[in-house]
Amino acid sequence: MSQINRIDGGLVDRTQKLNFTFDGQTLEGYAGDTLASALLANGHKMVGRSFKYHRPRGIFSAGSEEPNALVQLRSGAYQEPNTRATITELFHGLEATSQNHRGSLKYDFMAVNDLFSSFLSAGFYYKTFMWPKAFWEKFYEPVIRAAAGLGRLSGEDDPDIYDKGFLHCDVLVVGAGPSGLSAALSAGRAGARVILMDEDFHMGGRLNAEILSVDGQSGHEWTRQAIAELSAMDNVRLMTRTTAYGAYDHGIIGALERATDHLISSSDKPNLKKPRQILWRVYTERTILCAGSTERPIAFGNNDRPGIMLAGAVRAYVNRWGALPGKRVAVFTNNDDGWRTATDLAEKGVEITAVIDSRDGQPPVDVPNGAAVVMGGRIVDTQGRHGIRSITLSNGQKIPTDCLAVSGGWSPNVQLTCHQRGRPTWREDIAAFVPGGELPQGMMVAGAAAGNLSLSSVLQDGHDLGNQAVSDLGFNPTAAVAAISEEETVGISAFWYVKESKARSWLDLQNDVTVKDVKLSHQEGFRSVEHLKRYTTLGMATDQGKTANIPALAVMAECTGKSIPETGTTIFRPPYTPVAIGALAGRARGKDFRPARLTPSHAWAEEQGAVFVETGIWYRAQWFPKAGETHWRQSVDREVTQTRASVGVCDVTTLGKIDIQGKDAAEFLNKVYANAFAKLPVGKVRYGIMLREDGIMMDDGTSARFSDNHFVMTTTTANAVGVFRHMEFCRQCLWPEMDVHLISSTEQYAQFAVAGPNARKLLQKVVDSYHDISNEAFPFMACGEITVCDGVPARLFRISFSGELAYEIAVPTRYGDSLVRTLMAAGEEFDVTAYGTEALGVMRIEKGHAAGNELNGQTTAQDLGMGRMVSKKKDCIGNTLSERENLNREDGLSLVGLRPVNRSDELKAGAHFIAKGKAANMTNDEGWMSSVAFSPSLGHSIGLGFIKQGNDRMGEIVRAADPLRGSEVEVEIVSAHFIDPEGERLRA
Amino acid sequence: MIIHHPLLGPRDASEFVYKGDASLINRPDWQADNAPELFHDYLYLRDNPAGEHQELWYHEQGDRSWLVVTRNTLTHDITNVELARDVAFAKQANKSGRVEKSGRGKK
Amino acid sequence: MPDYTLTASTPLDGYSRDFVGVSIHEVNDRAIVSIAVPKHGERELAKLLTSSYQIELPKPGILSVASRDNVVLFNMAQDQYFLVFDYTGNTATSVVRNLLGDTAYLTDQSDSYVWVRISGTNSRCLLERICPLDIHPSVFPVGSVARTVMEHLGTTIIHDAEDSFLLLSARSSAHSFLEAIETSAANTEPVN
Repeated sequence: MSQINRIDGGLVDRTQKLNFTFDGQTLEGYAGDTLASALLANGHKMVGRSFKYHRPRGIFSAGSEEPNALVQLRSGAYQEPNTRATITELFHGLEATSQNHRGSLKYDFMAVNDLFSSFLSAGFYYKTFMWPKAFWEKFYEPVIRAAAGLGRLSGEDDPDIYDKGFLHCDVLVVGAGPSGLSAALSAGRAGARVILMDEDFHMGGRLNAEILSVDGQSGHEWTRQAIAELSAMDNVRLMTRTTAYGAYDHGIIGALERATDHLISSSDKPNLKKPRQILWRVYTERTILCAGSTERPIAFGNNDRPGIMLAGAVRAYVNRWGALPGKRVAVFTNNDDGWRTATDLAEKGVEITAVIDSRDGQPPVDVPNGAAVVMGGRIVDTQGRHGIRSITLSNGQKIPTDCLAVSGGWSPNVQLTCHQRGRPTWREDIAAFVPGGELPQGMMVAGAAAGNLSLSSVLQDGHDLGNQAVSDLGFNPTAAVAAISEEETVGISAFWYVKESKARSWLDLQNDVTVKDVKLSHQEGFRSVEHLKRYTTLGMATDQGKTANIPALAVMAECTGKSIPETGTTIFRPPYTPVAIGALAGRARGKDFRPARLTPSHAWAEEQGAVFVETGIWYRAQWFPKAGETHWRQSVDREVTQTRASVGVCDVTTLGKIDIQGKDAAEFLNKVYANAFAKLPVGKVRYGIMLREDGIMMDDGTSARFSDNHFVMTTTTANAVGVFRHMEFCRQCLWPEMDVHLISSTEQYAQFAVAGPNARKLLQKVVDSYHDISNEAFPFMACGEITVCDGVPARLFRISFSGELAYEIAVPTRYGDSLVRTLMAAGEEFDVTAYGTEALGVMRIEKGHAAGNELNGQTTAQDLGMGRMVSKKKDCIGNTLSERENLNREDGLSLVGLRPVNRSDELKAGAHFIAKGKAANMTNDEGWMSSVAFSPSLGHSIGLGFIKQGNDRMGEIVRAADPLRGSEVEVEIVSAHFIDPEGERLRA
Repeated sequence: MIIHHPLLGPRDASEFVYKGDASLINRPDWQADNAPELFHDYLYLRDNPAGEHQELWYHEQGDRSWLVVTRNTLTHDITNVELARDVAFAKQANKSGRVEKSGRGKK
Repeated sequence: MPDYTLTASTPLDGYSRDFVGVSIHEVNDRAIVSIAVPKHGERELAKLLTSSYQIELPKPGILSVASRDNVVLFNMAQDQYFLVFDYTGNTATSVVRNLLGDTAYLTDQSDSYVWVRISGTNSRCLLERICPLDIHPSVFPVGSVARTVMEHLGTTIIHDAEDSFLLLSARSSAHSFLEAIETSAANTEPVN
């Protein structure tokens, strides 16, 4: 038995049959179906269980507002919970399962919750799980977690790919219903760049769901022609399956395109390995919001049974999809539009059992044959366990029906107008909120979203606003006139819930919030609508209360004796409909989380089997394991020993390099460095310390002077970007009159440290012989422009971080790979070693050089033992405030060396210094260990650290306590210069 | 947010880095008698207005201009954007008593 | 003379690949020299640029083009321009200094960037996924240039011909940059 409830007509393609499964049962639908329309066509009413009470639930709406029909799609890693069947486009092979039940959908063990419903009312969790406290973690939380939630995640990595993108247009039209199509036509015809987006896969909006006529033809035909005209315009872009979900600052709109969700899992079709969803950021001058309106229900006893649906949705299933939600349909309405469901269905030959209108007076249209009409009627209760079977009226009359179409009127979709500062205003004549207050920049609202509820007014409004938008932007609107349709009646009289109902009356179907819950929350003192929301969870489910909020507000307003506008709405925030985390992440997963910077020697280092470490986004060689080395320390110890014994090579390209030129370059450096720079001779390098304006150390490095007006500065790797930014600030904001120019040359040069007693001998093999780099001609702290390997331009700096005779040599980056290979080949006779960042760190600790661990944003030049370098004779950043009393205390911190009393002890960075015999607590804290290393040169662990009055305490023994990791080591305070304290090696 | 760069036109805020109050341009005179107090106030005392605020933004992923942006902290409305260099020059000119040259500010 | 010679490499080893509707090529025969304009030196520099290269100092966002060495000149920052020309030697600044003398501060940037050209009818569709700027021909016509950020990487984009864009990004992250482009190409390549 296939598609028992399918009737003729609609927009489905009957030539394309699609097979799908629901809870394992194979069913058939057509191209153009949603999962919901296909389920209805197959006679499926019950599709899930409710969140709290596990009540049977069916399809309620025909769009993205759906609170009930949440299903799980696909399986395995592709499994996706909480998908709305009403907007899931049917495809061949679609697998769907119902969710939130244990046992079968029909016989759910958790349905027992429904029997205890009187205990599960508003605030239940807050009241119940308070006590005893210990029960929370062990009992309540696991039970609640097991019972709550709807669908299940796969627990596997999401195998789909997601993307992001940027769109630009003059006019963005959100929603392609009659107003949106009209607006896009106006704007497009005038020549503006237009984007028209719609969340549906079929543009047309309500026109798809109605049988109204436009311009003398069917609405479906008019829609087809409008789309055809728009498609033919180069300046118009049509985006289906795309939801504008948020309105952000300065008119930016966020949109989610479900690009391939309607195709079978991409794994099965490699040619479809395209992003599943694309998150667009739309920059637009004007946004015309044509988001339409959402029908809302009326609350009455047991109004949540499968088969009870929104009246407009019932009509949509019949008109658009040829799918019958029931064979004997009743209508309950407070407005004229609800009647259209009765007349449309009757025209298709569907039996209308009754039309109950809450209003008194005469029926607004002709009553369908055979239908009982009850004006001023109320439904107080319904019957039917797994689907509605009959309704009971307030007069006791019972009417059998298998589908009840309910209309409480239409609420304009104002959400996006509120994402900035807009606050909707109440319109009594349509009993609904319309956009109000200050709309997001550039936004206009047309059609039903603006409160125009008749088709003719919607068409005119869209047309006019489209023209207005393009006029604002300087385009000339064309003379074309708006499409026309006959005027239909849209009368309404507000009616929210049936007071006579004894049974529970649902407001929020997804979060199982009833009229009683709202009244209870008011009774318990929750007066603000925002409090009501949090206390009852009304509107907090995945549908954000699209159908529930307004009726609930009305109930609340009644409780407080205020009007609905006085009660106010909760604030709408993005997203309009749910956006998957995967879409927000886009490509930023795994190795694509952030880009990587590679050093010029990277490929060579990889060939050597180097282990890499991330420093910022740079990948640097950490050490180079040799055959037989099984522990990193073996490699690092060897690299240090070999470098100190002969020569080592290290890629130091990552240090920031800033090219500084200008007549005032020297004076500028003099101002940004705390120590003197103005008189640095050409051909010399100087170590410099840079302070923040508050006197704390910002960075350190060297600057080399290549000519009177030309310096090259190096910064630490970590601070390269920040220092450059700071110097641009100084240059543009503080001293704009200076002739000084900055440009980064970090990327321009491959730079290698060549360190060790044989460094010069090695370099002499590659430096062109006419450059004299002897100790006399090129002493410590010299720099110069030279050539290497027969004419390749290079820069040579005689600086040393390791404490050895050392140079840094820079060549244009294109030669970096070649240079490291050349140095290693030329160095073979000296037993040269490459060394990584670990050995670099060990050697600088042995030498007592400060690095990032010491420049941690808390320390001053004084603390680092460089207080005297801070000039008091010039204006420079930080020197004034560095003189503050508390930064110059006698018992201030000093950088010292530490060595374990028991040489076999291992030191740990982060340990705090405590005097012997005192308790390890904050009061007795005297400083901390900032850097540690095993020194292969000394054969034991060494450390650098800050300790109070350290310079006066040489030889004293304190404890390095590390209570976090449970260790404590006795250490002796020594000079930070463990190696060559006189600096003889680096001057050799 | 979108910042209308005076030279480059509208650019997304993601190209910029925020620094803080534009009063950071007014660095005190290091030789003033009360220089420590002046520097203290310069560095640590800030207005925190609910409304219009002049602040420094750096166009790091653009032309590296420092900008003075007048932004309403309540609404994010940006009413004026100037090159910080122009602002700094104008301040210097004011100080030295010369006539202020109008900046290249633009909405 | 040393016994060693150095060989030059390009950031992407001459990468070239065609997708449906779009081609991606590394460009590696261009030199870049940064020209910083001394305070109050703009007029003199402009004069010399005209007499040497027959090129004008461009406004921000616009390329100045000259036939000599296929020179293009564009503004990178306040008082700073990039001069780009056909040259693969080691001393690009000397080439420029010979013509401009001391009228400007020069810095070689030839090795600082990876150049990628994206061309073909699908170019804009590809760039839509990573480029936040509006590069529609009506607002970013041929001859336009802008610096922005793509996939976290600072990038200069030049519209150098119809359906053709040159991208300039930092050399050290060239492989990440290429991956961003290739991913965009794959994600936007028409099926069939």
